[in-house]
Amino acid sequence: MHTVLTRGNATVAYSLSVLACLTFCCFISTVFLDYRTDAKINTVRVLVKNVPDYGASREKHDLGFVTFDLETNLTNIFNWNVKQLFLYLTAEYKTTSNQLNQVVLWDKIILRGDNAVLDFKNMNTKYYFWDDGNGLKDNKNITLSLSWNIIPNAGLLPSVQSTGKHVFKFPAEYASSI
Amino acid sequence: MFDIQTHMDFVGQAKAERWSRLIITLFGVIGLIYGAFMQQFSQTVYVLGAGFLLSSLITIPPWPFYRNNPLKWQKPVNTEQKQQPGDSSDEGKKKKK
Repeated sequence: MHTVLTRGNATVAYSLSVLACLTFCCFISTVFLDYRTDAKINTVRVLVKNVPDYGASREKHDLGFVTFDLETNLTNIFNWNVKQLFLYLTAEYKTTSNQLNQVVLWDKIILRGDNAVLDFKNMNTKYYFWDDGNGLKDNKNITLSLSWNIIPNAGLLPSVQSTGKHVFKFPAEYASSI
Repeated sequence: MFDIQTHMDFVGQAKAERWSRLIITLFGVIGLIYGAFMQQFSQTVYVLGAGFLLSSLITIPPWPFYRNNPLKWQKPVNTEQKQQPGDSSDEGKKKKK
């Protein structure tokens, strides 16, 4: 501590140590919180087509078309260790060839300060609902669920699933493919 | 020309270190409480930054009040007493003999 430089060095180093300590306090204050919330999901229009999948094998695969309603209030999830949420809507189903299929149909980023009360009506999916075979036609048990990644200031990157789910079925006939 | 002192004495150095630790810690704790209350971690960082600036201003420059306890040096011992004017003349005479 005998020159300006050593004192400056000590001050900067100690400030950074305190900052690290404060960041850890922020992390520890939120790590045990329960981020689950309810979400109401409903499907409006559901149909399935059998069309060539030029993005993959060029064979005819099942392509689902879904429009959905989504209502949820995520305001309570935000705190001082949540910068943004990454929401994604997943369809989960079982086919004869695969025990578990998961397809992300839609997603959305909500920054802290944005409106977190969501009420969407008759939304189109953002991404194609391709099956890797013919597992969608007449599938009686497709589960839609909303999940979110929490992007924090410090700490873990949890992925949370909403408690509300929606189960629907695809029709037994292909819609006329264009 | 100008007699500008840039040092701290030992007591002053200890004081400067203690004050810088105290100020930064205090502002960190206040910032944490304020940030938790506002639920805005950036406020915590800003308050800590203010503490850093204040601590830098108070403890980094060698302010005069860090020189209140100068070291008590021993008085210089004059080792060349024999070369005082009276003696030197005497010595000269002896050498001439």
